[in-house]
Amino acid sequence: MNAVESTSALPAGRSWRNIRQEVQPQAMSRKGRRRQRLEWLKLGALFIFTVIAAGTVYEVVHTWETDRAALATAVHSEAVRDVVLITDGVLTQKWVDGVLGLPKSASLMALDLAALRDRLAANAQVRMAVLTRSFPDTLVVTLQERTPVARVQVSEGLGLPKQLLVARDGLVYDGFNYDKQMLAGLPWLDGLRLVRAGRGYEPIAGMGDVAGLLSTAQLQAPHLYRSWLIVSLARLAEHDEIVVKAQDIPEIVFSRKRDFFKQVAQLDYVVDQVRMLPEPALQSVNLVLEGQVPVKLQNTPEELAKLTAPNFFLQPPQRKVKRDL
Amino acid sequence: MISNSSRIIGAVEIGTGKIAVLVGEIARGRSLNIIGVGVAPSRGVMKGEVVDYKAACEATHHALEMAEKRAGTRLEEVWLAQTGGHLEGFYNEASVNVKSADNTVTALDIATVCGLAKEKELPAGRTCIHEIRRPFRLDGRAVPDAEHLSGRRLEVGYWIVHGHEGKVSDNIHVVGGYHLEVRELVLASLASGSLLTTADERLHGALVVNLGKGITDYVLYRDGHVLVTGTLPVGGDHLTNDLSIGLRVTTAQAELLKLRHGRGAVQTRDKADKVWLNGDASFGDRQLPKVSIETITAARTLELLEVLKQKLGPAFAAEHCGAGLVLTGGTSKLPGVEEAATRVFGLPARRGESPAWVKDELKDPMFSTVLGVFQFGLRTAQEQAMPARRKPGLLSNLTRIFATS
Repeated sequence: MNAVESTSALPAGRSWRNIRQEVQPQAMSRKGRRRQRLEWLKLGALFIFTVIAAGTVYEVVHTWETDRAALATAVHSEAVRDVVLITDGVLTQKWVDGVLGLPKSASLMALDLAALRDRLAANAQVRMAVLTRSFPDTLVVTLQERTPVARVQVSEGLGLPKQLLVARDGLVYDGFNYDKQMLAGLPWLDGLRLVRAGRGYEPIAGMGDVAGLLSTAQLQAPHLYRSWLIVSLARLAEHDEIVVKAQDIPEIVFSRKRDFFKQVAQLDYVVDQVRMLPEPALQSVNLVLEGQVPVKLQNTPEELAKLTAPNFFLQPPQRKVKRDL
Repeated sequence: MISNSSRIIGAVEIGTGKIAVLVGEIARGRSLNIIGVGVAPSRGVMKGEVVDYKAACEATHHALEMAEKRAGTRLEEVWLAQTGGHLEGFYNEASVNVKSADNTVTALDIATVCGLAKEKELPAGRTCIHEIRRPFRLDGRAVPDAEHLSGRRLEVGYWIVHGHEGKVSDNIHVVGGYHLEVRELVLASLASGSLLTTADERLHGALVVNLGKGITDYVLYRDGHVLVTGTLPVGGDHLTNDLSIGLRVTTAQAELLKLRHGRGAVQTRDKADKVWLNGDASFGDRQLPKVSIETITAARTLELLEVLKQKLGPAFAAEHCGAGLVLTGGTSKLPGVEEAATRVFGLPARRGESPAWVKDELKDPMFSTVLGVFQFGLRTAQEQAMPARRKPGLLSNLTRIFATS
């Protein structure tokens, strides 16, 4: 049976496949005609269904583009009774309600979700907003928020200086509902120039590197990070250096070209070594170089030598031996 | 409920005695379940050929409808058994010289020799049913697949089965009248042969004889390949006819006598042993000598088998039929047929047994053809499920050109 070859490859006129299989309706039995009619009926039904489906899709798309209000009446929807907030940050339901400002009688279907989303996204604390209709009467708002990594002080006109927050992507924004203690632990940014853009500011360039350094320090050496007060970006653009001022070290220079983890580890080692000195006081630590870490102490070497010198004679006074001859 | 990953196939046999339809479900291209059976007494068919289109349609469509109803599904295409006295076969072979410089047989050599072997013109009004390839011969040695082997001369032969175009189309149109497409025509003898013999038996050589009501189909296997197929326009009807004439009874009464008391070899010795014609003590019922019934049926059976042996001619050799003779078909149910076959062919004969996957109610020898057709359908479906062999690309063609130049 395996050796039986298909006759489909036979020359024309030889194979039984050239025999026309269709028979005239007159030559069909009653059952055959019924089958044929049923098939036509099925084909017809399929055709009609396809036409109706295509028409419906066209109509919906057309109405969506031209008259959305009509869709609201077509779909069973009621006035929005509930706005559900799902967020990964600190924004509250009250804040969302305030920003959306939905009228009480607003129908769920009639809402312009794109406009509402834009309204939410106008606040820089909101990184992404997704609004979904949950029929019949609930609007679900899903938010992804920015997290601050540093603070910046801004003086606007003659008013008091204002504290703004800086996110990992460099966006400067006015934070809402953050924990005050958490904000107090954030370092200040220095050595940068904020440029106005509309009602806010343009994103800070190179903030990704700064955020990388801060998060590495926060994660790997929290005892060091806690003492960091100011992060200066003054030398970032030209020299690729991030200068940090800590409570006990006036200048720590990091390079954004080197692995932050290694630099933080080196700093930790230096701090540990210096602590063993009688008066540990670092002036600056430079972590820019690959092979060595120049460290400047607040005391001069002489002062340090004095401090480290023992307060007793190294050699006892020589006694003259008196001999009685 | 038919699952999405399954496929429905149908097998149809339009026989002289009965029309059988099987509906099966191939699950995931592998397992086969018979989910519907339709059997109807045949009408309008004589010796496997449609002689009354309307009557044949009525009977066939009734069987098809019955099978569909039982299966709870609708057939779209069927595999149809083809038999009839009009079927003939011939052997044609061709040879080519291997073209490549290193004498390695390529796919092109194989395609060329196969094309040449199948090229022979058929007589007018004939249509090809099957082309059955025999093994390749490379420099005289038989090889199942010659590609990549080394040799100088490649030969191949085909057993080509063809039939009368009008009669084949009548068969197809009977199914077409039910608004169904015939997917494949399967030679009845091949169908039952492949069902009832194993690959080992075919390798050792086997003769499968399907004793139908109006037709006897046969297939002879040697070295695992089909050597000869054929049909004899003689079957169980001839036994009935002889009984009717010999005992002067009606055809219906003769048919009953054949089924009740007929034998392939005479067993009764007592001439006084008699049987009732109708057995219902009705008016006109009479007693007939049992030995007469057995003598008539046995003589006709022997004659049928002798004719078959003659038709096989030199192709048949008992020493090349290690697996013996396998009998099937409705008439093979006659007791003593194996004995008669053994006497004629000098081979151990047995009644064919369907494989284990066949349901008990279908293990009757009269279903062997339709079951074989069904099995053929399964194989076709499996072959289709397998990924097609990748054609050589431009790079491989260029490589071949440079290698041979």
